[in-house]
Amino acid sequence: MKKRTVDPALKKVLQDFSLSYLTKRRTALEGYDFEELRTRLAAIKDDALDRNEELLARFEENARGHGSVVLRARDGAEANAAILEICRRHGVRKMAKSKSMVSEETGLNDYLAERGVEARETDLGEWIVQIAAERPTHMVMPAIHLTRKDVAALFARRLGRDVPEDIPALVRIARGEMRKEIFAAQAGLSGANALIAESGAIVLVTNEGNGRLITTVPPVAIVLATIEKVVPTTADALAVLKILPRNATGQTITSYVSFIAGPHAAAQYIILLDNHRSEMAADPAFRAALRCVKCSACLNVCPVYQLLGGGEYAHVYMGGIGTLFTAWIHGLDKSKALAKLCLRCHRCEAYCAAKIPIADLITALAERLNRETGMTLWKRFAFNGVMGRPRLQQAAFKAARSARKALGTKDGFARRLPAWMKKYDRFRALPSPAPAALTKLFKKEFPSPFAPVKAAKGPVTIYGGCLIEHFYPEIGLATARVLAKLGYEVKLAPGLCCGFPPSNAGFRKASGRAFAALLGKMEIDGPVVTLCPTCATMLSKRGLEIDGSEKAKSLAKAVIPFGRFIVENELAAVRGMRKNAPAGLTVTYHDSCHHKNLLAAERASRTIVELALGAGIAEMDEADKCCGFAGSYSLDNPEISAELLADKLAAIEKTGAGIVAMDCPGCLLQIRGGCRSRGLAVRAAHTAELLDESLS
Amino acid sequence: MIERFIEKARIAGAEVERVADPRAAADFIREFLKKNDLRTALISPDLKLRPPFDREFAGTGTALGADSTAAGAPGFARGSTSAVLDRGLYPRASGEPEARPLIWVDAGIVAADHGVAETGTLVHFDRSDAEKNVWTLPEVCICLLEARAVTASLDDLAPAFAAHLGRTDIPSPQVSLVTGPSRTADIEGQLTIGVHGPSRLIVLLT
Repeated sequence: MKKRTVDPALKKVLQDFSLSYLTKRRTALEGYDFEELRTRLAAIKDDALDRNEELLARFEENARGHGSVVLRARDGAEANAAILEICRRHGVRKMAKSKSMVSEETGLNDYLAERGVEARETDLGEWIVQIAAERPTHMVMPAIHLTRKDVAALFARRLGRDVPEDIPALVRIARGEMRKEIFAAQAGLSGANALIAESGAIVLVTNEGNGRLITTVPPVAIVLATIEKVVPTTADALAVLKILPRNATGQTITSYVSFIAGPHAAAQYIILLDNHRSEMAADPAFRAALRCVKCSACLNVCPVYQLLGGGEYAHVYMGGIGTLFTAWIHGLDKSKALAKLCLRCHRCEAYCAAKIPIADLITALAERLNRETGMTLWKRFAFNGVMGRPRLQQAAFKAARSARKALGTKDGFARRLPAWMKKYDRFRALPSPAPAALTKLFKKEFPSPFAPVKAAKGPVTIYGGCLIEHFYPEIGLATARVLAKLGYEVKLAPGLCCGFPPSNAGFRKASGRAFAALLGKMEIDGPVVTLCPTCATMLSKRGLEIDGSEKAKSLAKAVIPFGRFIVENELAAVRGMRKNAPAGLTVTYHDSCHHKNLLAAERASRTIVELALGAGIAEMDEADKCCGFAGSYSLDNPEISAELLADKLAAIEKTGAGIVAMDCPGCLLQIRGGCRSRGLAVRAAHTAELLDESLS
Repeated sequence: MIERFIEKARIAGAEVERVADPRAAADFIREFLKKNDLRTALISPDLKLRPPFDREFAGTGTALGADSTAAGAPGFARGSTSAVLDRGLYPRASGEPEARPLIWVDAGIVAADHGVAETGTLVHFDRSDAEKNVWTLPEVCICLLEARAVTASLDDLAPAFAAHLGRTDIPSPQVSLVTGPSRTADIEGQLTIGVHGPSRLIVLLT
């Protein structure tokens, strides 16, 4: 695999852009219900995919009625050949283009250049990238990786004169150059943001106005659009328009939106390109990806994209959604390295304009990659061989525990790994296994049958998960104490893996085995309180996809994250039992990805933390950005993991808080280990521990 | 609603002036062109038929027409598509070439069919490319808008859009939504205006 490197200057540009994007987006969506807008868009796109062929036929008929020529292309090669044929027919030697990611997909510019047609980009970012002989690194901001200095140097070389490093002056120069190119072109090529079946109109959404010039100035107009862009009506296109600019750039609308029915110039050709999209639409697992309107919000909030940019994290299409398109359009093999870059943090899904479950689709892709292109050896051993075999899994943890003396230092951290493995543990100290597992300690502190002092409120079962069972049993015990103080009969679920890690790595069968083993031993009697959001996701959601049994369903229903359980049932009681917290404690809260993005439990947890500390939370910047743990990700991509952790620690440090609270033992491993490595005097704690300490 | 339109249009970077009637708009435009030394202007063909523009702006070029395409572009610079202003607006200096290349035009004068308060957007039902180019080619776009044609949201106009796009009596039915000047953020994410289209958009609200 190609080594991915982080360029600090690019990282800063991308992260600054992300922050300003989030602010603008918030303003642009004021007074609108984003959930409602995107639910509507998803429904429109799903419906349009259901009857894609019917709508395309209607679009074709209506566009022809206006005098356009409509052509179908099965793949990129056919589309390129059709465009070349049009150029030859009209004697086109120069073509001006407005932005078309699809033409990047088909490699149109190079194809035409080799055959004597010069295609010039006119979107400013694309134009710059073309002069630089590079590729776009962002769908909306193609030249986001270049600074004004870079651009000035490029222009100076092209024009053979000095060019000021001043953005308005650079734009002015580009305007002049591009205008000349547009007027010199015999054909204009554009993409389409939507195709309207009922009128045969195309919709172009641009800010610069090049889309308008491209479609009116040159005598021949060519539209290169993909089949999933078709929607039934004008009203549907307006629904796309309502969310697209707001979500893409934080604008209520772009400067120009053009609806064009029929040829304006001598001729208009519309090429409808499939390029494996109808295969994708026919696959129920991946169909949802075709709802994409290319707003790029997912890239703007992606922690990995912000580090690597679209030069590294792309084939042609970028980021997580790009990985999915790559797999279908350019081939599974091209998507393999990209699929490993997704954290599966699900942050993008909260921002997606079309409710595409991007991270889940990456997991489905990982399964397919394992099946069809072979598995990584260590993962096959770890996930298939050990995690997927409950007995072996227990034996492995036991072996690790008995090696504790050899591994461990006194305060719970393992000794450093040898130098050749230093990239895995220098950025965050790794924990050593706890002296005893939670299951054993629990039996000691809560001997069976355990009955609390107060009148019993009924049973509650705690499920800790592997990390708490073997590394952080004190969190499980703290939870048990809180529940006992509140008058519950506390039970402990078996200390077995939930099956999530193999599932995430694409080992569905191994995941199913682990989940079945746990489910078999589980007694479901009352609520099942979870301490790890990832386990909670497995038990309440993903498990059901593997096992549809009644027991799995009742488990899913019983699962509730710790913070939510307390807030929904015991808020008043907890208030009454709270001791006065020591003065001067300041706390910040880290949103664990699955806790916020999959369980939406972050509010409840903040309430718990504020109650426990008797103080407000000093919020950190981007509290909901991944800390870089992400399970085996930190072993696959230690450099990215380290970079994300460094950012997280800087955000924590900036708040001045003495405690950072969280709800995930994985984040705890990462952040606690990071504080230790950096010598940061901040305590990383699970919310359950903080609540336990605060109750009398 | 008018207030909201004005607010949103200004946020998008447009300049909005309230004028009493088309007569006052014409006066404003004449003054504006002089004051800003805008020497070449195009007027949209439909506006050119409306009083008082039919008389006052009679000599103003009407942008690219079908004839220019037929005349064998590229360039669109010759013959009947002269963009040079004369009578009543700005005298052509003697010795200046017959027609400056149309690709550089100082001002465009247009009229919108609707305004949208929600986004500060101007809506135009285009009947030809010639009209569309008057909006996009010049440095400055001056647009008339009747206050009574302002609607609350784009959705209100969906049926009208659909009806226009479905027309078969004109060669190329198009709907343009224009909100503020042409803009880009492609260099370092910094908002910069006037990259392809006008760097100023003046809305004259009558």
